[in-house]
Amino acid sequence: MNERKLLQLEMDRTLRPEGERPSSTTVMTRRTFLHKSLCYGAAGAATYALLPLINTMDVAFAADGQSFRFAWLSDTHLYPKSLNTRFVDKMVRAVKEIQGMNPPADFLIFGGDLAQLGDPVELKLGAELLGEIKIKKHFIPGEHDWYLDMGKTWSKMFGAPPWTFDHKGVRFIGLDTVSHGPDYWTARKMTPQERMGHMATLDGSVAGPWAGLGSEQLKWLNSTLSSWGKDKPVIIFSHNPLYEYYPQWNFWVRDWREVHEILKPYSNVTNIHGHTHQALYNEIGKLRSIGMLATSWPWPYAPEGVPVLTRPMIRADPGDHFDAVGWSSLAVSGMARVEYEYMMWRKEVFATAPVDSGTEDNRNQILSPRIADRL
Amino acid sequence: MVSKKNYTRLAIVLALVSLGLGMQQVYAHKEPHALDQLAAFEQVFMEQVRVGDLLFHGDGDTQKNLNVNLSRTGMACAMCHPFASDTHPHEFPKFQEQMSQFATLRDMINWCIEKPNEGERIDPDGPAMKALEAYIYWSNRNSKLDPGRH
Repeated sequence: MNERKLLQLEMDRTLRPEGERPSSTTVMTRRTFLHKSLCYGAAGAATYALLPLINTMDVAFAADGQSFRFAWLSDTHLYPKSLNTRFVDKMVRAVKEIQGMNPPADFLIFGGDLAQLGDPVELKLGAELLGEIKIKKHFIPGEHDWYLDMGKTWSKMFGAPPWTFDHKGVRFIGLDTVSHGPDYWTARKMTPQERMGHMATLDGSVAGPWAGLGSEQLKWLNSTLSSWGKDKPVIIFSHNPLYEYYPQWNFWVRDWREVHEILKPYSNVTNIHGHTHQALYNEIGKLRSIGMLATSWPWPYAPEGVPVLTRPMIRADPGDHFDAVGWSSLAVSGMARVEYEYMMWRKEVFATAPVDSGTEDNRNQILSPRIADRL
Repeated sequence: MVSKKNYTRLAIVLALVSLGLGMQQVYAHKEPHALDQLAAFEQVFMEQVRVGDLLFHGDGDTQKNLNVNLSRTGMACAMCHPFASDTHPHEFPKFQEQMSQFATLRDMINWCIEKPNEGERIDPDGPAMKALEAYIYWSNRNSKLDPGRH
C-alpha cells in the first residue's frame, strides 16, 4: 500500500468516526438551473449561452430568520492584458454578474489566485476589475498571489489574513493556507521569478506540499473559535481544502490533523475553498466542505482521492474557454437547510451519464509524477 | 500455396534488390544485449521524456532550441493536464469530437496547440512532437490500452 493510501486511511479513521456527520439541522439540497442570456464572444458576435456557474447556499443558521446572500469569486489567474485577455474577459463577466445580483449580495469573498505569477501588474489589473464591485469585499490569498515578493504587494493592496467577522448570526473566518510553505528557494539561490515559477506549477515537485496553516495561525483559529458557541454556525474560507484530497497538487493542507482537532467541538462548520477549480463536496466528521470553481480554467479531477460524496461535474470542453468555469453566489437563510447551486456558462454542471462525467472519463488512467524538475 | 521454385525466385529478387540499392543488412537482435546497451536505450528514451516534460510545462528555452511556439496565451499544456492527466494517449486513435475526424495522439497535440493555446502547429514527425509524445506516453504508461474509447 503506498504512502498516499495510508494517509487517506488515517484521515478516514481520524475524521470519520462511525455515525459522525455534519449537524442535522443543516441539510444540503442541490439544484441546477439553466438560463439563457446574451453572451458576447471574442469576436464580438452575440450568441446565446448559458449563465455562469453559480453555487448558491441557503444556510440554516442565520440569526432570527434573517436571510442574506454573499458572493464568491476566485482563481482568476490574471496575466497582463498584453499577453492574455481570455482570463480578463471571464473575470469582467463574473464581476458584472456579481454587481448585478438582485437583491445585492451583502459582501464578496475573493478566494485567492487573483494573479497568475504574482506580478504587481496582474494584481493591479485584478484590483481595477474588482473595483467595479461596490459591495464590501474580503480577501484571502492564493499561492500565485504570494511567492514573487512573498506577499508584500498583496498585503499592501488587500490586507493580510487571517481575519474574522460576525454577520447576522454567522461567524466568518478567512484563513491563509499559502504563505507558510517550506523554503525551497534560499539554498538553491533562486530568483523571485524562479521561486514563483515553481509555486505556479501545480504538478511540480520542487515547492513540495506547501499548503498549510502553520502553528501561529492554528493557535489563532483555536482562540477565535473559543469565544463562539459550539453549536453556532461558522463558515471558514480557505484557498486550499482543509482535508486531504490529493497532496501532490496541494489539494489539502498538510496540518489537517491539527485543524480538525480544533474544529472537533463545533457542530456547524462549513468550509468554502478554491484552488481545485472543480465542483467538490465532502463531509469530514462534523465539517462540511465545498469546492468552488475558477473563472480561469478547470482542473481535471485528481487520479485518486476524489471524495465519494462528490457528484462529479461534466467533463470540460477544451475548445471552449467559457466551459466548466464560473463564480459563486451563496445565500444564507433562516431556514434549517443548506443549499448550493451550480450554474455554468455553457453546460449543465453535473453529468447525467458516466461517459460525460469528469471522473468516469479517467477510469483507465494511471499517472506518474513529472520528472524534469527532479533531474 | 507458394512453390519451392517461387521461393527461390523471390530470394534471388530480394538479393538483387538489396545489392542494387547498396543496402547494408543490419541485425538488431543477433547478439545478446549487454546491460550497458539496454541502459543506453533507456537513456535515449528518458532524455526524450525529459525534453517533452519541459515542453509540456511551457519551458521557454526548450521551445527556442526546438524552434517551436506552443502557446501565445501564457498557458502551458500542464495547466489543464497536470501529470499529463486527461490526455488519454492509451485511447488513441479514435474519433475526436472537437475535430470531427478519426485522429491520432499527434493530431490531438496539434489541435491543443492551435486552439486552446493559440500556438503554432508543429511538425507531426519533428523532434518536438516526438518528445511531447514520449512524455505523455511515459506519464500514462501504466494505463490500460483502450483505443477508440471516447
